Amino acid sequence: MGLIDHRFSDNFITTNVDQVLNWARQSSLWPMGFGLACCAIEMIASSTSRYDIARFGAEVFRASPRQADLMIVAGTVTKKMAPVLRRLYDQMPEPKWVISMGSCSNAGGPFPTYSVLQGVDKIVPVDVYVSGCPPRPEALLYGLMRLQDKIRKETTVLRRERVIMAGQTEPIMVEDRG
Amino acid sequence: MLARLLRSIFLIDLLKGLFVTLKYTPRPAFTFQYPAERRPVAPRFRGVLRLQVEPETGAQTCIVCDQCAKACPDELINLGGHREPGRKIKVLDYFDFNLSRCSFCGLCAEVCPTKPVKALIMSEDYELGTYSRNSQVLRVDEMYDGLPIQQYNR
Repeated sequence: MGLIDHRFSDNFITTNVDQVLNWARQSSLWPMGFGLACCAIEMIASSTSRYDIARFGAEVFRASPRQADLMIVAGTVTKKMAPVLRRLYDQMPEPKWVISMGSCSNAGGPFPTYSVLQGVDKIVPVDVYVSGCPPRPEALLYGLMRLQDKIRKETTVLRRERVIMAGQTEPIMVEDRG
Repeated sequence: MLARLLRSIFLIDLLKGLFVTLKYTPRPAFTFQYPAERRPVAPRFRGVLRLQVEPETGAQTCIVCDQCAKACPDELINLGGHREPGRKIKVLDYFDFNLSRCSFCGLCAEVCPTKPVKALIMSEDYELGTYSRNSQVLRVDEMYDGLPIQQYNR
């Protein structure tokens, strides 16, 4: 495959498979609610009938990581919880996405201390950061829509892998690693 | 005993429960169709920080007094300006607000001293999804206009 890798534009051969697969993926995101603090209450509220996250196909909150596509990290991630979070992320089947919800999981929030992880993106690759303290349920739905936009633009067959290098916060393409 | 037997034969409890379901069925849906309709927030709701201009002239109201930066418990605000001859107030050069840690306490907006128009307010915006941590630092133009809807490009 090395001969034709990235010679043509994306999906030159498999034209519309991506669109179908992405449509299926974006409209059935099964989240694993990783509720750790007060943000979890807003995450629960977004699945109630008032806000109804089921309209986006993401109502099936799974308790098991093996049945989930999306991890919503809602709340303060302590350093004691961090290895558990990473293990649960590793147990999720590909493709998987992460929404970091709230100031604490975005950057540590008001806890710049020894016991709190300063941003969940230090251990898992985060796709969408939802700011707020806690974010309203609408803000979580907005973040979910941003994630659906991202999924719509992803390639599925020729998937370009992204990695986060040590000491960096932004992911880069594997081939740009140098 | 007999009454209990009859109740279980004729499924009275089940029918009672179903009657409640039936009672709620014709009511209109309870859901807010969020992206289409936006629920009004409470009057004292604290959304993302916003810089305000004079409503008539569009002139800058911030006097670069640095009080908001001092009031912030997490030191998320960085601002600076310079003096210009002929202008009474300092001209705002940069206003960097690191949204990622903000706990929306509103202390910065509370200490803002400008009158009659407050330069720094907590707006009603809460749609703050971003794709990267770098875009969570709001610059001056985003402080005036709000965080735009992010576009993902691969």
